[in-house]
Amino acid sequence: MQNNFLIAIFIFFISFLQYSCVPNNRSKRITIASSGKIESLDPARASTLKSLQLLSSLGDTLYELNSEGDLIPQLASGMPILSKDKLQITINIRRNVLFHDGTPFNAKAIKFSFDRFKRIGTMNYILGNKIKSIETPSEYKLLINLNKPSSSVKGLLTAINLTPISPTFYKDYSDKFLNDKFVGTGKYILKRFSNEIQIIDPNLNYWGKKPNNEGVNFIGYSNSSSLFGALKSRQIDVLLSNSIDDSQRNNLNSLSKKNDIKEGNSPAIEISFISLRTNSYPFNNRSVRLAIAKSLNRQLISDKVSYGLRQPSRSLVPPILKKSKQGLWPEYDPIEAKNLLEKEGFCNGNILKLPLTFRSNVPSDKLIALTWQEDIKNILKECISIQLNGVESTTIYKNLNLGIYTAVILDWTGAYSDPEAYLTPLLSCSELDGESCKKGESVYSGSFWASSNVQKLFLESEKLNGDKRLAKLIEIEIIASKSVPYIPIWISSQKAWSQNEVSKPIFNGAGIISMSDLKFINE
Amino acid sequence: MSRDFIKILNYSLLKISLIPLMLWIISTLVFILLRVAPGDPVDAILGSGANEASRELLRYKLGLNESLLSQYLTFINNILHLNFGESLSTQEPVLNIILKSLPASLELGIFSIFFAILIGFPLGFLGIRNKGKRGDYIARVISISSYAIPPFWGAMLVQLILSVYLRIFPIGGRFPIIHSQPHITGFLVIDSLLDNNLTYLKDSLYHLALPSLTLGFLLSGIFSRSLRINLDKTIKSDYVNAALTRGIARRKIILNHALPNALLPIITISGLTIASLAGGALLFEVTFSWPGIALRLYEAISQRDYNVVQGIVIITSLLIVSLNLFVDIFIALLDPRIEY
Repeated sequence: MQNNFLIAIFIFFISFLQYSCVPNNRSKRITIASSGKIESLDPARASTLKSLQLLSSLGDTLYELNSEGDLIPQLASGMPILSKDKLQITINIRRNVLFHDGTPFNAKAIKFSFDRFKRIGTMNYILGNKIKSIETPSEYKLLINLNKPSSSVKGLLTAINLTPISPTFYKDYSDKFLNDKFVGTGKYILKRFSNEIQIIDPNLNYWGKKPNNEGVNFIGYSNSSSLFGALKSRQIDVLLSNSIDDSQRNNLNSLSKKNDIKEGNSPAIEISFISLRTNSYPFNNRSVRLAIAKSLNRQLISDKVSYGLRQPSRSLVPPILKKSKQGLWPEYDPIEAKNLLEKEGFCNGNILKLPLTFRSNVPSDKLIALTWQEDIKNILKECISIQLNGVESTTIYKNLNLGIYTAVILDWTGAYSDPEAYLTPLLSCSELDGESCKKGESVYSGSFWASSNVQKLFLESEKLNGDKRLAKLIEIEIIASKSVPYIPIWISSQKAWSQNEVSKPIFNGAGIISMSDLKFINE
Repeated sequence: MSRDFIKILNYSLLKISLIPLMLWIISTLVFILLRVAPGDPVDAILGSGANEASRELLRYKLGLNESLLSQYLTFINNILHLNFGESLSTQEPVLNIILKSLPASLELGIFSIFFAILIGFPLGFLGIRNKGKRGDYIARVISISSYAIPPFWGAMLVQLILSVYLRIFPIGGRFPIIHSQPHITGFLVIDSLLDNNLTYLKDSLYHLALPSLTLGFLLSGIFSRSLRINLDKTIKSDYVNAALTRGIARRKIILNHALPNALLPIITISGLTIASLAGGALLFEVTFSWPGIALRLYEAISQRDYNVVQGIVIITSLLIVSLNLFVDIFIALLDPRIEY
């Protein structure tokens, strides 16, 4: 009798709680979950993919890159026009566009946003020294004056960090960040913001195509298991994968193959690679670097670590940006690797000891390192011995330019959609000493590699456009691939999964999901 | 009476006078340890892609280019003025961050302790009542299992079963996405009551239920085992035997005499348990995406956000020290045998 009473109380309690949670009237709002939180919605501060993702729905850039890698005007009314001396870009601006606060969008707003980013932007280094000034000769015309010819500036015009914001609303924040509000021109208006949850509603005054849904609830969970569980238990409509574990990716991929959910993929834009310190033993020897590159079984690593979901890559530039899938870096060839090492006096009792550092807080890095170590034990045991060293990522970034790491696993996503955004941060050098870099980007990537030829080609590429420029950039990559300061491992794409009653997630060329295209398909 | 009161007052004042010293030691240690750790906020914010000029500029903006002594003196001076500074990564005042996240952790902690007692005490009584019998063994197995289970594993398991497969509870978070949570005290259950909103109350309880029940269960073993052992020891004492031989009912002896004595060590254990929750709840907050102070601390450490880490550690230390002081004084008041 007493037990029955207790059971009845328990059932009542659960029912009471359940009543409050079951969605009693399903709205047409889409709930999207991804990992982590958003600390800032200020374009000058935002640096995480998640915050950029949300900003891309709340604001528009001058241009966008479509999934084929072509530049599409957004707030610009046409393609950029380059002057004959290649030192000035003219952009005509779209008319009749309003900011979310009702103020008109014009060229001055772009200048305000650009200057603010240049002044306080956390990632303002992406501008380099390319842009001299911005002029606004008329309300809807923008002139960008360059310090030197720079064709890569066009790629910068797609950068979400340069999303125009309302000068009126940000009047008091021209020199400081405004983290929890955003007033741009985008398809959605920010309704509510907290670090964990963001609610956005359609912008009824939007100049272009209106969103397909009645708004988006954007939620952050702090771990991969919760994200996976939330989609499986149908507590969310869409899951964005920016840091979900590979085993869960694989599970979701299987579910999508069984048509239990839908899977959307962005073009592959995130490269993972090993940086080799080329200015000291043993990697100051090109043959040793080449041998190591040939000992890396990318397909095995992809299969074992990512279940084949991450594409093995022999290039530092994503295929979408160089319009080719051609791999330039050395192929896996353990026999050739052994021959090269033998020529350099290794093997036969002299084992090359390779200290490999990986980011301990990135699970896939550790698995890459372990897989490679095991594979080497199987095939090149008498020549190479890999010693693993896990270090937290922040510590690695701090120490990279100090030359502490002989070989370290890293990844990179270009700040804007251009091959140059991948090659410059890894290969450029401002102060060379033969094949060693004393000062420059390659120092900060831990390779210390330099080539005067590459620097010359970088300068030449800035004066070119289109296919000619691309050819120069590919030439740079060919030179680097022969010298092997890095070993590309794989290239990853963003993935998103949606419930079957929601449309398939669509990405643009920069790996950003189009929230406005998401809708319930039985509407 | 008044003599005892003066003694307790002296004892309390002595303990209170030590708090600033303890906080100074803790804050200095945190300051030094954070700077000794490799990497700084600039590396965490900019990653590996930025050049040296950008790094130097950001370091200058954040005030990290000043000497360590200068940074330390500024830090101590600010603390004396109850100014914890601004987050290095978001520029949000650290006090705001703490005030936003601390109630979430306290709410989870309080409900967890409540459930721990609710589960632990009956198990302890069950054991003592059926000493050496099946009930005792069952209670013992449950209790030992509860603190033998690694918290992160236990949390993930219940989340998987009750949220993912059975879909009884939400997967994480503190409040439904669609509703704006009330902001009065930061304690959502209290805020819902103050707001007189039954739906919000149900929503907040519904989100709180799984993490607090799970954490409560995992903590319950300490309470049940302590109660079982201490009560058993007290029941065997001479004064209980004397009371029994005088014909006083066993139930009355246990409730009126043995239990209050057996509870004294449990009060100490409760204080220590609550203190340990400050760090121990971290894995729970991560698993259940609970926006509490432990999760904030974890994020701030990985971002090398010195000001946030320092602020959270100092406030948490203050809470723990105050709680221990309260427990000490409370026990001194309850137990006449304690000399002070």
